[in-house]
Amino acid sequence: MPASGPSWPRRSVLRGWSTMPDHRRTITLTAVLAGLIVVSTVAAPMVSARPAHEIPVSEVSTADLAEPDADGWAEVPASDVPLSSAPSSVPNADDTSIETVDVQAARTDQRLYVRLEWQDATRDTNASTPRQFADAVAVQFPVNTSSRPPIAMGGPDNRVNVWYWSGSTGTQELLAGGAGSTTPFQNPTVQANASHSGTGGNATWTVVYSRQLDAPSENRTDLRTDGDLDVAFAVWNGSNGERSGQKAVSEWHYYPFSGGPQGPPYETLLWTLAGIAIVAVVGVTSFGIYRTRGAE
Amino acid sequence: MSTDQQDEQGEDDTLVNVADGVDHQVAMVMDLNKCIGCQTCTIACKNLWTEDGGSEYMYWNNVETKPGEGYPRGWEDSGGGWESSEHSDRSPGEIPDEEDYGRAWEFNHEEIMYEGSDEPLRPRDGAEWGPNWDEDQGAGEYPNSYYFYLPRICNHCTHPSCVEACPRSALYKRQEDGIVLVDQDRCRGYRYCVEGCPYKKVYYNTVSKKSEKCIFCYPRIEGEGPEGETFAPACAEECPPQLRLVGFLDDEEGPIHKLVNEYEVALPLHPEFRTQPNVYYIPPFAPGQHTEGGETVDIDRIPRQYLRELFGDGVDEALDTIDAHRQRVRQGGDSELMELLQDKNPAKQYRLEVFDDE
Ligand code: SF4
Ligand code: SF4
Repeated sequence: MPASGPSWPRRSVLRGWSTMPDHRRTITLTAVLAGLIVVSTVAAPMVSARPAHEIPVSEVSTADLAEPDADGWAEVPASDVPLSSAPSSVPNADDTSIETVDVQAARTDQRLYVRLEWQDATRDTNASTPRQFADAVAVQFPVNTSSRPPIAMGGPDNRVNVWYWSGSTGTQELLAGGAGSTTPFQNPTVQANASHSGTGGNATWTVVYSRQLDAPSENRTDLRTDGDLDVAFAVWNGSNGERSGQKAVSEWHYYPFSGGPQGPPYETLLWTLAGIAIVAVVGVTSFGIYRTRGAE
Repeated sequence: MSTDQQDEQGEDDTLVNVADGVDHQVAMVMDLNKCIGCQTCTIACKNLWTEDGGSEYMYWNNVETKPGEGYPRGWEDSGGGWESSEHSDRSPGEIPDEEDYGRAWEFNHEEIMYEGSDEPLRPRDGAEWGPNWDEDQGAGEYPNSYYFYLPRICNHCTHPSCVEACPRSALYKRQEDGIVLVDQDRCRGYRYCVEGCPYKKVYYNTVSKKSEKCIFCYPRIEGEGPEGETFAPACAEECPPQLRLVGFLDDEEGPIHKLVNEYEVALPLHPEFRTQPNVYYIPPFAPGQHTEGGETVDIDRIPRQYLRELFGDGVDEALDTIDAHRQRVRQGGDSELMELLQDKNPAKQYRLEVFDDE
């Protein structure tokens, strides 16, 4: 995280040090230090970039967002989400080729839109010979938004919804409770639109998913949640033979649906506690020094 | 997965090694000395199971010329199977290329039949490979060239590496008879089974985008036919020389058990892949070599080392045993083995109802 408090007012402190009587100097120093610490602890989370795993969601009134190149996306901030090979027992699991995906998200009072963009020089949309695999991308949410499932396709007691798009089969909505348990919903309620643009190394895939906020049925994530919404991403490069567990995945991130942009409550709480603790320590220490000097 | 009943059976009733959790194991013995390479089996299978879109290139049953590249081309070197007899580590395999299976060619029927063309009937675009492209080529030099036909289906292995390869457990070995199947609802077309089978007997359907394989004609052996009768797999029933025996490996009264476990003359193909196949072969005999002058000499025409590469070291003893029994019968003696290898009684050739009462 970048340094974020006001710069250290070294000179005024030194001047104060040289012109004041001892005990006054100590008190003043203590006050200044305490003030600075309070300012910096409170300022840090407000001034800094958002927390590393937060992906901002723009609240918009009307949506022109369904298509990858829709105008509405120009206003929506993007997050660079790093990807790495998923731990998996399938052959060549550590041979993945996509390293990052750009994620944008926007919410109307009816739908959530998620736009994913990543670099892939080849447009692999065909799986119609034995050796061909299609490019694909997935977004994963917990079914029960109040707890965070295991990142690898959830767990038996803590399942995940997966929005899946592949160049050869189109969109699927999946339910999974652990690796190998993925099952498609019969009637997908997720829409996806995809486009591949550019050429060579700069060519990119862009896929926009959207779904209504209300859970359309049991076992589907309620996107109207007031809490933060955990979310994770996966990308497959078909021409590299990527499929199944051979995929580039993110860690869990979250959409901050619980309120303002300052991050989740626990983080603010931690900062506040840390600030109070530092102030207390400095105060006690200064008081000790003051007493010691006074006794001289 | 095994039940008490199976454990008892495993210990008390039989010494036959069937897979854990499997009650009985279907098996087939093919006598390579009788195969005439007519492909009736191939077509019987194709008409039944692989006529639909996406399966044109598949031959669940194929008959290839050995020595030869086989189908798909080079399958013997395409990896798969197990690293050791512990069956814990699989060796990685490769998915064969479309060209190695051979594409369905388009022919110039149109031009010749309707447009008066004088061209010979031939494939339209460059046909450079296909199943049986090297048919009857074999190896060796005149007058000592040699070849034989090798019919192949899925071996419904006791340790199927195709099953182990699937991260979704879409492939499974049926409890009642050990037939290996692909659950079409679970398959997501990842093709780890295709690369993981050392015999390349799982195929990817290019339309349904799921994997498919030989099902040992289970609806026929379950009596799902028109009259409710039980039939052996179509490849066996349709074979003109009736060279296939079908039954259960653990049916100790049946000919398969005798040929495989008692006389040890029926051998699995490429045992070094360690999947423990349940299709067994009576290895081929061939006349001795000829001299330039046309005399027969006592030198194997099919090099013994080549047969060892295909069927393992057991091939020497298997051929010796058959030879000894032949001599015995020639000299007027009796041999159960010779009768088994010649038996035309269908009740014995196909023994599929022995465990029906269980
Ligand atoms: S032959 Fe191949 S497909 Fe058939 S059971 Fe054995 S490993 Fe599986
Ligand atoms: S039908 Fe019988 S003889 Fe003909 S190719 Fe098949 S196994 Fe050989």
